Amino acid sequence: MFPYEEASWDVVDGPMYILANTSAPGWFTFIAVVICVVVLVIGQRSEAEKTKRFDK
Amino acid sequence: MLPYTIYNDMGVKNVEEQIADLVAQVAALEASSAGAAVTNTMFAETFYYLTIPLMIIIHAGFLAYEMGASRLKNVLSSGVKNILAFAFMIPTFYFFGWWVYWAFPTGIPGLPGPAGISGIEYANAIALGWGDSAQYMGPNIADQASGVFFGAFAMFAATTASIMSGAVIERIQTVGFIILAIVLGSFAWVVAAAWGWHADGWMVTNFGLHDFGAAGLVHAVAGFFALGVLINLGPRIGKFNADGTANHIPGHNMPLTVVGLMLIIVGFFGFLMACVLVPGEAWSWFADKPATIYGTPITLSALSFNILMAIAGGIIGSWLFTRDPFWMMSGALAGIISAASGLDIYFPAMAFIVAFSAGIILKPCADWLERRGIDDAVGAVTVHGTIGLYGVIMLGVWGAGFPALQGAAGDAPTISLLGQIIGAAVFFLLGFVPGYVVSYILKMFGMLRIPEGAEIAGMDLVKVPAHGYPEWGNKAPITPAE
Repeated sequence: MFPYEEASWDVVDGPMYILANTSAPGWFTFIAVVICVVVLVIGQRSEAEKTKRFDK
Repeated sequence: MLPYTIYNDMGVKNVEEQIADLVAQVAALEASSAGAAVTNTMFAETFYYLTIPLMIIIHAGFLAYEMGASRLKNVLSSGVKNILAFAFMIPTFYFFGWWVYWAFPTGIPGLPGPAGISGIEYANAIALGWGDSAQYMGPNIADQASGVFFGAFAMFAATTASIMSGAVIERIQTVGFIILAIVLGSFAWVVAAAWGWHADGWMVTNFGLHDFGAAGLVHAVAGFFALGVLINLGPRIGKFNADGTANHIPGHNMPLTVVGLMLIIVGFFGFLMACVLVPGEAWSWFADKPATIYGTPITLSALSFNILMAIAGGIIGSWLFTRDPFWMMSGALAGIISAASGLDIYFPAMAFIVAFSAGIILKPCADWLERRGIDDAVGAVTVHGTIGLYGVIMLGVWGAGFPALQGAAGDAPTISLLGQIIGAAVFFLLGFVPGYVVSYILKMFGMLRIPEGAEIAGMDLVKVPAHGYPEWGNKAPITPAE
């Protein structure tokens, strides 16, 4: 959705990204943070499991 | 002018002196703005000039990537193929590719478009290397733009052709490959660009198609062109077993391949930089801000945020399920490609999430294609074709409602999911159909695939008078020092 009332670039004088002036960017940022953390947690568990097989 | 200043009783200069002061100030302002104009022109020319070597880094990357992905016996012939494709892209784009871009935005028969910068007549005036047009196709002290624009576009053409080259390594004939590269790089993607990456392009003016970073018109066209070729080319000997299961044919140097992919990422910054139209020149869209090829505003800051987040998202997504550096770096590419259509308007965290999703689906999509008997040696069809279309459609999901061109509300078409789907379908056809048809014709003439004996012996032995690694192996030549 265009973040300005008129669908024209003539009225754009600031933020011009998708869903600007809504809470969506905050939610997207939160989801991105969660993705990074989850990937690291999953990665750590699987790497630890792989290394255990070689640990004597 | 009087040699002294006359002041009245109040200490104020008289009228003649005030007029003389004003004239002097105006002259000073005109001189400085002339200087500013030269500065701006030099900035604009230098900006595009610098994108050219940055984009040549993409080719250093492709060389490393594809040579590393080849087996030892084919390493140099893969390099020769790449270097020659690059070499043929430049003159063929000069001879006719540049003309096609300017001639056909409105479709056939090449009528002028609403912005007045397209059509056969316009193309004849600026894009031919002969007649009156030649003045814009060579050194011209009054034209500091045509050459650098041509150079940037020629690099786009070379990049598009190189995308196909990785998929077909280890069994394609050199001249047949060059013919395919010319069709793809100096024609097929150029038609896609004329139709979907030009302010007069009919897909833009009629359907609001928006593909800032060329995910569809370069990557999807090239990826599906490669698919059309692969269907006729056939798999490498030993790739598939009788029961249809696939064997992995590892390249001889994975580190070289991974470094090559990272170089392609470096070059991508040049590619995306060249997608921006700088302000302040007679041909600029705005006096005071950069623009996309469509004339909509953009900033390099937006690109910095979004390209970096997209690279990161793609790598992280593909690491999660593959753990393989080849697929991680392919994920970096897929990340950029998936976000490319909307790099001007995505919120950075959104670009990260879109790219992460592309990284997740990358390997499953590549495996899906392989299960259908397609031997794509480097995953080019998936990374560029599938993910390119994914990126075009993602923008339709998230960016619907954004104006696709400048203009008052209601006058300018807006981005829509339907428009992006139509664009995706056209890009698929503009890639797949010529790739399939031309490779089929080449196959009929025996110019597509090398004979089986040559493929088994190795293409370097057959085609290249040099050794990739002359000091390795029992039969390596003894050096003079020994």
